[in-house]
Amino acid sequence: MKLFNLGELDWKQTQLIYHALAYKNIESLVLHFSRNKYISVGLHQDPRDELDLNFCKNNNIGIFRREIGGGTVLLDNNQLFYNLIINRNNPIVPHFPENFFRKFLQPVIETYHELGITAEFRPLCDLIVKEKKVSGNGGGEIGNCKVLAGNILLDFDYKRMARAVSTQDTLRGKFLELMQNNITTVKKELRVIPSKEEICSILVKKFEGFLGNMTEGSVNAKITKKMAELDKLYSSDKWLYQRGTKQIGREIKVREGVYLFHKTFDTKEGSEGITCEIDDNTVKKVTFTGEYFPSNIDKKKFKEKLVGLEYDRNKLANKIMSLIKTYGVVAYD
Amino acid sequence: MIEIKGMKFPLDRKYYTKNGAHLWLKFEGDFIKIGMDAFAAKMIGNISFINVNRMTVKSGELIGSFESAKYISKLYAPVSGKIIDVNKNILRDSSKINKNPYKSWIFKIKPDNKKDDNKYIIEDEDKIISWITEEIKKIEIK
Repeated sequence: MKLFNLGELDWKQTQLIYHALAYKNIESLVLHFSRNKYISVGLHQDPRDELDLNFCKNNNIGIFRREIGGGTVLLDNNQLFYNLIINRNNPIVPHFPENFFRKFLQPVIETYHELGITAEFRPLCDLIVKEKKVSGNGGGEIGNCKVLAGNILLDFDYKRMARAVSTQDTLRGKFLELMQNNITTVKKELRVIPSKEEICSILVKKFEGFLGNMTEGSVNAKITKKMAELDKLYSSDKWLYQRGTKQIGREIKVREGVYLFHKTFDTKEGSEGITCEIDDNTVKKVTFTGEYFPSNIDKKKFKEKLVGLEYDRNKLANKIMSLIKTYGVVAYD
Repeated sequence: MIEIKGMKFPLDRKYYTKNGAHLWLKFEGDFIKIGMDAFAAKMIGNISFINVNRMTVKSGELIGSFESAKYISKLYAPVSGKIIDVNKNILRDSSKINKNPYKSWIFKIKPDNKKDDNKYIIEDEDKIISWITEEIKKIEIK
């Protein structure tokens, strides 16, 4: 297996490198960080649904739609990225996602431990310390390889993230508060940030202990050519704004089990909305937005019907709409 | 119907086994309905998104992707033919596959050739049992 310890890269290169290595079928560990801030969305996300595109444009925040899974994430120079690329037929690769993450995140967990942070695995693929997320991860198949991509959060720009997502202004404050309560960083845990070089050397040691010794790789002409080819594709509007199936309602994820879910509906008076705060995959709080919320709806009873429900995006959206209709309100999605 | 470790495999359909695909194929007249089997529904986690392209395909060709547990897996065509329909209800709420895999067809394909000689498509009871048993072993080992 090759080791690409690349240091600081231009933002787009941090994504292109692991896509290109996977397409070139080069089993490798890649460590790097981004010179500039940008936002990465998952394969099945559309930036038009996820982001305030004007804010991103006006603040020079690049947008990248990656080929692997997971959600919208703000990435910048205060995060260290690791990518593991392994051929799909390599016998050490677990077939199913949870086992894949659980197995290959072990060296990252050990790295946190060596830094003095008691991180642990939390399905689906978060690393958690004292119930707060300290590392985000995603994965998927690219070419003939399986890829793990994740970050070590050295520090995090909560405010910029809250501002960049597409949501009503009234929800940004709540999103910010939830992130601050549910996402931690190396800086918050240790009060200092060890050097990136030191963390990279621990990661290399832990991954080598797990996967065997690695040989140093160089980004040669073939890899560079593949990166350029992919850059052309991924930079096109056709790729970036590929509209998938529109999902019901707006879900903003904070970490596993913690979400904001907002459902709007139209009545003859205007557009109204209901926001649910979800913690531990359970609806904990319900709030109403909109100027003309139907007066015949008993808000207290309405809340009681939703609070305590296990969170399932589609079921919750359907439940909200059916409840509204029981009050005789004509409402549309 | 076969039942292995709580997972059911109806014998009114065939199964596509290549590279852990776990797709079922139900032949209905001129087309085949295709979905995921109980093993996939149980093991891959809650499916949050699925995308299938309507296209003419060769067997084994990439036709789409799905996301479960923040992981993107690819979907490959089990037979050559033309994808004539994609189930919009499943695209909108893919978790239905986890809840009821055999009622959740994902796409319909009109095969080029009704007679399939694809070694990765099986229907014999013993072969299904042996395949699933091997798949379970693989998970336990890794």
